[in-house]
Amino acid sequence: MLTKIQNAPSTTGSSPVDFVALSNPTLKSRIAQTISQEVVAGFRAWPVWGIMGWDDIRQRYRRSVIGPFWITLSTGFFILVLGIIYSRLFHIEIESFLPYLTAGYIVWGFMSAAANDSCIAFIDAGRIIKQIKLPYSIYVLRVVWRNFIILLHTIVIWIPMAIIFKVEPNLNTLYEIPGIFLVCVNMIWLTTVIAILSTRYRDIQPIVGTVIQLGMFATPIMWPVSALGNSKIVAEINPIYHLIEITRAPLLGIAPELQSWLVASGMAVGGSVLAIALIVRASRRIVFWL
Amino acid sequence: MAGIFLKNVGVDIPIYDVRQASLKKALLGRTIGGRFAESGAHMTVNALKNVDFEARDGDRVALIGDNGAGKSTLLRVVSHVYPPTSGTVHTVGKVSPMFDTTLGINMDATGLENIQIAGTIWGMTRAQIRNSIDGIVDFTELGDYLKIPIRTYSTGMLLRLAFAIATVREPEILLIDEVIGVGDAGFFKKAFARLLELVERSRILMIASHQDDVLRRLCNKAAWLSHGNLMAYGEIESVLSTYRNPNTPAQQPATA
Repeated sequence: MLTKIQNAPSTTGSSPVDFVALSNPTLKSRIAQTISQEVVAGFRAWPVWGIMGWDDIRQRYRRSVIGPFWITLSTGFFILVLGIIYSRLFHIEIESFLPYLTAGYIVWGFMSAAANDSCIAFIDAGRIIKQIKLPYSIYVLRVVWRNFIILLHTIVIWIPMAIIFKVEPNLNTLYEIPGIFLVCVNMIWLTTVIAILSTRYRDIQPIVGTVIQLGMFATPIMWPVSALGNSKIVAEINPIYHLIEITRAPLLGIAPELQSWLVASGMAVGGSVLAIALIVRASRRIVFWL
Repeated sequence: MAGIFLKNVGVDIPIYDVRQASLKKALLGRTIGGRFAESGAHMTVNALKNVDFEARDGDRVALIGDNGAGKSTLLRVVSHVYPPTSGTVHTVGKVSPMFDTTLGINMDATGLENIQIAGTIWGMTRAQIRNSIDGIVDFTELGDYLKIPIRTYSTGMLLRLAFAIATVREPEILLIDEVIGVGDAGFFKKAFARLLELVERSRILMIASHQDDVLRRLCNKAAWLSHGNLMAYGEIESVLSTYRNPNTPAQQPATA
């Protein structure tokens, strides 16, 4: 029951396309065609999601001169106040706690904002979806890309932190690149899953909000893992912890543990399979849910 | 070559109300089992039934029929927005739907930014967009207004810009859903001329409209839809007269 195509519809050129939509193709062709038409074609149409996400950011600059840097400012204040209080609370020296908090909280901000936005990824684009056939992954990538640009704004906070508290970059800092990459892959599949479910079931959005809030407190972002004492397992069974760890540790000049890499990569693979399975099931219906 | 080939196409549009759009209700329905089964099954609207339709290079097809006859659904099936519930839909060539000229228009963005965004959504390359700007400036006569946010525009200015952007594309299969017939007389004349150019650049046109005079000027064929059925398809005058005078028997079979 999926649209079949010989050549993926070209979204960025005027080359002729041959497009066949069947009402009941076999499961095998459904999967192959979903991957090529809804997923791969969407990644290839980067000018489309690129400009959509970029315009979302421009929109914030239109309304205020400093645009998304407001988020940078508020994040900065949040970290500062929380850092001072919590360092006393946990009896940790502020010199080590503030960089720890900053490195973790910035990436958490990216993940939580993307998850939050994913609820309306398709609903927001409803007018476009009902009018022109574009790969669904375009709307997902727009959300992740938009929030990635915001991450580039908030990461600025790291620079004064690193200078003031003398966190010197070393070879381990390079782990930041695969770390961010893996976080992005995980956010892409997660955004896809939430976007599909919350388009179908409109009450998912408040659930997502609650889970995000819970995640922020349950994950060692605002508190150190060492505060758990012997029950470190509480952090280790939390998948968010590993995503934070592979991006936080490199910034602090520490190599992330192998365990975190394995969990993050495993989730990336498993989640992508789940996301593709959901698109295969839903791609013929999403337009009717809007 | 461009072509549209519909074989036995049916489209059922599911209607979801608040109950079906709730996860809690869906889960509840599942645990309680049979009791909620009937309310859980959603209603569907039979928007198209067993439609066989073909169009090739040079065909300019007018879609006629009463409101709710399936004209817009047919256009959405050809543009692959709606998947068929039965049958096959095969299109050859780049499909360019024009259902709502304000698609992708952002009121806070400037005219030029809007050209860039909408053009990209329509599948134009950066170079194509850049080359189209002069034509849009000429057509809209907006000049430096293009550099300021379009929320400051008057309704007429906005209309011109939206129409200008919507008509810069290079379509092979152009699908239009009732977008003409707006604005003052002077603009209408100009807009119509621009639309004619766009139609000439396309290989196949399908347009849904209730304005017979517009359809006569643009089209050489017509397809009459009624309650989701293709009643007649053929030369425009004969189909139009059959549609307007239901007592006369159809002169062309539905599978022209």
